[in-house]
Amino acid sequence: MRSRLRLFSLFAALGLVVAACGGGATEGTEAPADAPADAGAADGADGEVTTIGFWVAFSDEARLGFTKERAAEFNAKYPEYNIEVTSFASYNDVFDAAVLAVDSGEPPGIIHFFEAATRQALDAVGADGQPIFKSVTEAIGGRTEILGEPVILDDVVDAAKNYYTVNGSFYSMPWNTSSAIMFSNTDMLEAAGVMEIPETWAEVEAACEKVMAMPGAPAACITWPNHSWFVEQSLGQQGELLANNDNGRSGRATEVYLTSEGMIDYVSWWKDMADKGYYTYTGVQRDWDGTANAFLAQEVAMLIYSSSDTTFLTNSGKEAGFDVKASFMPYNGEREYVGNLIGGATLWLLNGMDKKAEDGALAFMNFFSNPENAAEWHRITGYIPITKSAEALLEQEGWYDESPNSRVASEQLAAAKNTPASLGALLGNFVAIRDIITIAIEDILVNDLDVAERMAQANEEANKSLAEYEALFGG
Amino acid sequence: MLIAALVTAALFGVVFLTREPRYRTPRRLGIGTTVSVAAAAAVPGTMGPCGFADESTPVDHVLFFALMLTSSWIALIVTRAIFDRSDGASPDTSAMTGEIRSGGFRTKPWVPWLLLSPTLVILIVFLYTPAVQTFTLGTKLARLGAPNSIDVCLSNFSELLIVDPVRLVAYPLVAVAAVYATSWWRRATSKETWSHRLAEVASTLSVLGIFVALWAIFSPGGDGQVAYRPVYVTTLIITIGTVATGMIGGLAIAYLAFRNIRGGGVYRTLLIWPYAISPTVAGILFFMIFDPTAGIFQYLAEVWFGVDVPNYRESAILAQAAIILASGWKILGYNILFYLAGLQTVPTSQVEAAVIDGASAWQRFTKIVLPSLSPITFFLLVTNLTYAFFEIYATIDFMTKGAPAGKTSVAIYEIIRVGVNNGDLGRGAAQSVLLFVAVIGVTLWQFRTSGERVTYGGAT
Repeated sequence: MRSRLRLFSLFAALGLVVAACGGGATEGTEAPADAPADAGAADGADGEVTTIGFWVAFSDEARLGFTKERAAEFNAKYPEYNIEVTSFASYNDVFDAAVLAVDSGEPPGIIHFFEAATRQALDAVGADGQPIFKSVTEAIGGRTEILGEPVILDDVVDAAKNYYTVNGSFYSMPWNTSSAIMFSNTDMLEAAGVMEIPETWAEVEAACEKVMAMPGAPAACITWPNHSWFVEQSLGQQGELLANNDNGRSGRATEVYLTSEGMIDYVSWWKDMADKGYYTYTGVQRDWDGTANAFLAQEVAMLIYSSSDTTFLTNSGKEAGFDVKASFMPYNGEREYVGNLIGGATLWLLNGMDKKAEDGALAFMNFFSNPENAAEWHRITGYIPITKSAEALLEQEGWYDESPNSRVASEQLAAAKNTPASLGALLGNFVAIRDIITIAIEDILVNDLDVAERMAQANEEANKSLAEYEALFGG
Repeated sequence: MLIAALVTAALFGVVFLTREPRYRTPRRLGIGTTVSVAAAAAVPGTMGPCGFADESTPVDHVLFFALMLTSSWIALIVTRAIFDRSDGASPDTSAMTGEIRSGGFRTKPWVPWLLLSPTLVILIVFLYTPAVQTFTLGTKLARLGAPNSIDVCLSNFSELLIVDPVRLVAYPLVAVAAVYATSWWRRATSKETWSHRLAEVASTLSVLGIFVALWAIFSPGGDGQVAYRPVYVTTLIITIGTVATGMIGGLAIAYLAFRNIRGGGVYRTLLIWPYAISPTVAGILFFMIFDPTAGIFQYLAEVWFGVDVPNYRESAILAQAAIILASGWKILGYNILFYLAGLQTVPTSQVEAAVIDGASAWQRFTKIVLPSLSPITFFLLVTNLTYAFFEIYATIDFMTKGAPAGKTSVAIYEIIRVGVNNGDLGRGAAQSVLLFVAVIGVTLWQFRTSGERVTYGGAT
């Protein structure tokens, strides 16, 4: 869920168009020297190594490293395939590069793309009018194993399954999946006399009052990134839809609701917390690093964050000498709790591959999230174990007893009622609409604006943006 | 409306050419008028008369009309150049080179074209074609991966502007008229008189008037328009701040480092280093220095002075100052390099003469050194402006991401946010055309005004 927008080295003004020339494709059909042609390989391989590009939006050592190791294992196990991992700075980069690569005829086989852009990925077509991606369910076509790799789709945990199921089937293969949870510096809370971790907005506020009143109080009490994802989480908790047609799940979403009661309540609470000096805004939109640093530097007692960094935050807290406890994201106590939603990304299969390449890509996807790999992925990051078998494996190993924080995200997702509100929206131009929400909130926090008025303006912009998207794709 | 526009183009052609008697022959006026009308007609000819369509707004009409006249104007400039060529007149370049007027080579007429062709090919492939494509893209609603795009004519442009067409036309016209009027006044008055000094002040103010007029025509938002006025203001502040910091700081340091000091060579080499750093790294460095949680600056201010520095990203002034500091520092090394080179060309005889005449150090600096450096200053002004317009994206992205509430979101940052991050290719392209035009405008203006005050030594 950490779509940190990293460096786009400079696209100068005109570069926008020139860029269309460079696809950055890395596909190659030549065999690497160390991969012997294996005559006995499955699927009657003709001895030639098929290279499948796998474009990933991670660039950090831990997550990219994990990906590369799994690819290397797969390549060793299936010498007739060569999964080639390429790293990109952001999800948008991966997507743009993939669309351009399709048009220039050298696409990868698998790309890594995030949840909010699911609608965009479903709608995307190449210059020839063909869809860019192919439904994973359709490509698997009812098989229970591919090249000997068991298909894991039926085993995927409900929260991810429900989110990514469109028209009754998986279009993409779930991978990194998280939820928004809260991390508390329990040492600090206890010092302030807060013995129970707060669960509702009111309890958070009460706890903050105590924290800020204690001698040697931190700079502020709580923080979280100004990212629309947390707004969406809150709407899910309150059972409020973000878009019409059941959040775009019973039909295409054609209208967004940024002025709903749940939205106004949440943003008003947020602003109120900031006005009282309880919430500290780092001043940067989507600031994952800054907020985590503030928590680890003990400048705040609580942090609402993505569960994707559970392991990192827990260990870093320990190293800094304080206890970190994870809990559910605080909710509005005045409304019935409906459910939090997922965040993260899935693997999309590119359309138009030949049978052998496609099977290789599918086998890799299933191998990549097999119980052992999914459990390992969870352990090193904090993304939820994506399948029930992986969960069972972790349980059996005693992992959760060892690190109880890691269980919270899965539990929170399991506690959600399966309603359109808690599933989250499938929405066109979602990235731009998220941007509109983020900017509006920053405006409210920094310039002390009226919440209802500013959100009404954002609503107008977002609906215009959505209408334009539907004009392009919906027809 | 289309007819009216074409008639205007014809009149424009006549007015343009009758300014000089050489062109006032019936044949030339005829050619000029035809060219002017044809060029104007080329606009609706290629993109359709969409700007005058019923559903378009008055602002669209104005923009479309302006586009047609611009097309005429460019065609007329070319026509005039052709006339000049057939008259055997060549542009006067002696002021620039201080050399004898060049004669012609005895070659076949196609030889110069052959020699120019590599440059022309590069210009066409990498500049003109993308420029035209960007403009075309700017007239569309388009996204990557979309099955088609929708023509929106000039609405991507007009939504950046105010909705009142009268004010939209009036403000720039008044501002330009003021500039011409004051410059005429300046020329009409004789030097060293009060009215001349007054005229000089007025002419400087009238240039500021252009910036004010531009401020007035960009939409402040609302009415379904894009709030581009804040972006304009931010761009202006950060660009001027960066260029001023970089150039004044560069000159000051270069002047100090130029003196005879022990180990001067080492200093001079080290001073150039910031230039070798990419804007990204500059962003990271200053991010590390000023970060409110982990920053060194914050820590030192607290430990040494007991001052609790506020988070710079929450205050518009501090955020802009931080960006200016980081990007000004980044270009500093480049400016120092050129100023060091420039200082070596300052005529020592004049400086020595000034010393003998009893001029103070400050007088020597302002009366001799600065004027001798004017070509370098002029060159640096152009390159620094280009840098401030185009290359500080990464610095901003690392330090503030446009915060607080867009107060550090300059034009180039906005283009990438809209066009790349949000995938709205049409609007991104439209904004980049705007920036392109702005850079052309600033450069032309610089060549016109600074050119008068730049001395390249020589005859004088």
